Amino acid sequence: MLFGPLKKVYLPHLVALLSLLAATGAAATVCSDADAVALQWLDKMSRSMRQISYQGVVTLQRDDELQVMQVSHSVDQGSSSERLTELTGQGAQVERGAHPLDCIHPGDQLLRLGALLQKDRCGIAEQYRFSVVDGERVAGRQAVRINIEPRDMYRFGYVMSLDRETGLLLKTQTISHGHKTLETTQFAHISYTDDVPAVGDVDVIHEAQHPHPKRPTTNAAVVRGWTVGWVPRGFAATDSSLGVSARRTYTDGLAVFSVFLEDLDLEIRPGEGLVRQGGTTTYTRGMLLAGQPVLVTVIGEVPVNTARMVADSVSWVQ
Amino acid sequence: MNDRMHESLSALMDNEANELELERLLAQVAADASLRQTWARYNLTQHAMHGHPVVHLDWDLSAQIQSALAGSQAGGAASTDFKQRVMRSLLSFAVAASVAATVVIGGRQLAQVGGADPYVADRSVATSASPVGMLNSLGATAVQASYGTQPISVLQPAIRTAYQELAQQRLRKYMQEHAEQAALNSPQGLVPFARVPQIRE
Repeated sequence: MLFGPLKKVYLPHLVALLSLLAATGAAATVCSDADAVALQWLDKMSRSMRQISYQGVVTLQRDDELQVMQVSHSVDQGSSSERLTELTGQGAQVERGAHPLDCIHPGDQLLRLGALLQKDRCGIAEQYRFSVVDGERVAGRQAVRINIEPRDMYRFGYVMSLDRETGLLLKTQTISHGHKTLETTQFAHISYTDDVPAVGDVDVIHEAQHPHPKRPTTNAAVVRGWTVGWVPRGFAATDSSLGVSARRTYTDGLAVFSVFLEDLDLEIRPGEGLVRQGGTTTYTRGMLLAGQPVLVTVIGEVPVNTARMVADSVSWVQ
Repeated sequence: MNDRMHESLSALMDNEANELELERLLAQVAADASLRQTWARYNLTQHAMHGHPVVHLDWDLSAQIQSALAGSQAGGAASTDFKQRVMRSLLSFAVAASVAATVVIGGRQLAQVGGADPYVADRSVATSASPVGMLNSLGATAVQASYGTQPISVLQPAIRTAYQELAQQRLRKYMQEHAEQAALNSPQGLVPFARVPQIRE
């Protein structure tokens, strides 16, 4: 056959060329006008979330479960304080005080690209495809609806409704690749005020941690340095929890997942376990890493496939 | 193996078997080679149905399907309900297997992450070029895959259950620490804490 040997010789080149085309093709098409409009909205959303005072009632719906919580966020003299009180379930309260407004975490950095848009760099639009349409009314406010569709299979899609006036995120639906709504978070009521609402009975009060960008916050450690070899494109580390710290967390601005490593004393049968709740995946994998039995757990708002591949890429630092 | 056993096995895989059935089944599975095979096959199917990528790519898929089909017809008067269930499972299995195969062709190309200052978003973002690969079903970008480096064997039921429980435990153990990070790095304020089953002080 004439084409037999030819195929053999050229196939690798062809594949390389195709992949190059795919890569450059993707880069050339991402920065559409629609994306630019959406990115401006996301930029505004990120800022208003941290810089505006508001309070209201938020519902979280996933699977057959509905949780209701009261949230408040107030800004005073360059810093913000916020509070979440569960009105259903455990009834716990989470607080964060004196958070400087100029303390911008990687998730927000990834969203605040509105002013920095360049021809060849589209920020988060390289990971998601956006469209902006008129939204329905949410919590009595006129909303702008942003449809956010992932460009790869490693993250979920979202439908976000933003307050047309303030840009505040009023409603988020997490959408699977099968276009199924996995989870819905929305304000049932919102008011823009500095007043912090009174709360009823609270059993547990938790002071939210503020992980320092340069210092790992987790106490747990493993015997050796380890690394996550692969994360989907566009995911950045949220802090410097490197070395022997037992956790790594990554964000692409919208989705967040954490990887936990435990080194085990005894050998366990290799295997994997999975729990899915709404848009959250918990994937645990037992395996040998260079002879050392370990348990890798990936928790986050990503598809199972992503969690599995991330777990697969964990290795010791040589 | 009779249809009743098939039914029970299938019910077990769907978590519909009661405890009595479970005991009887486990005893029989231990003693019967063909039951064990069916069991392994159902586990595979279940594995695929639950969205896990299929890990062993050297399977003879058609033989798998044929033997599973033969299994469902062996009794002759197998109930339609059971047949439908098997067919449904097989369909999902075949679809999942083909998806997995598509992904695997992509090969492995890892982007090294970490090391860069995470507060400088521009540098710490993983910017791996699209690897050699096929277009995925969304037609968007090349598919990156890393399967096969650490193949997982088909899990025995007891181990599968144990891992399921382990995942539940790890969820309870780690969700709060994940929420601490998610609250600062996703646009929902403190709402990620609502996903923590039991918030600790």
